[in-house]
Amino acid sequence: MKYLVLIFVLAISLISSEIKFEHNFDKALQKAKNQHKEVMMMYSAVWCPECRYMKEIVFKNKKVNSYIQKHFIVLSKDIDKDKLPSGFKYIGIPTFFFISKSGKEKGRIIGGGKADKFLVKLRTIK
Amino acid sequence: MKKIVIFILICTNILFAFSAKDLQALREDGYCTQCDLSYADLRGIDLAMSDLSDTNLSHANLNDTLAHKADFSHSDLSYATFENSNIKGANFTDANLKNVNFFEARIWKGNFTNSHIDKCNFNESALGSAIFENNNLKNSTFKDAILYKTIYKQNVIGIPK
Repeated sequence: MKYLVLIFVLAISLISSEIKFEHNFDKALQKAKNQHKEVMMMYSAVWCPECRYMKEIVFKNKKVNSYIQKHFIVLSKDIDKDKLPSGFKYIGIPTFFFISKSGKEKGRIIGGGKADKFLVKLRTIK
Repeated sequence: MKKIVIFILICTNILFAFSAKDLQALREDGYCTQCDLSYADLRGIDLAMSDLSDTNLSHANLNDTLAHKADFSHSDLSYATFENSNIKGANFTDANLKNVNFFEARIWKGNFTNSHIDKCNFNESALGSAIFENNNLKNSTFKDAILYKTIYKQNVIGIPK
């Protein structure tokens, strides 16, 4: 019984440390306002290996993960399924748009990269 | 005086080794096959999806270039430099890649099948899902390169750890 509780607690802590992806722009913006954060909108595709690398490796990096969770609500948009909100343009994927509380773009990162380098870029945005 | 003239002539020859006509064609049409673009400065030219197959690009400067899905197959890229370039999905099949500098280049899904790789600098490049087949990677460096789901097929020597 003791072990079961321990496993349950560990599982919960693992789940809670995963970045939760929002899919609706307005909802993400509202959530960001409520939590005093900004929106990081990732424009990606299932078939894009660089995007998968970011989601599967970089976002799971401890430092990157905690930095993102602390400062951003992550909105995920798929190039094949979703249109970008008006006013947002891209030249390649993955592109990370950083959106202020007023809904305007305040910066962007084009392309992914290793966790340490991505974190440096994130820090220059916020 | 004679020596100075010869020296200037040699330098001029090196500086303008590429064919101006070929460079113009590349700028206008976005492709140039079987061309001489050796020593050419191609920075800032949009080479996305360009056909540069069977072309002499030795010593060419392709730093910070946008050349995703470009076709460099059968080309001579020896001593060329691709620092910080976006060459995702580029085709390097059967290319001569002796002493090529790929530092910080984004080469996701690049195809290096049968290319002659020798003393290349892949440090800090992104080679995720890139294909290496029938290559010798022993003399090249891959420090801090992204090798996420990089594909090594037959006869690859010196697979980076």
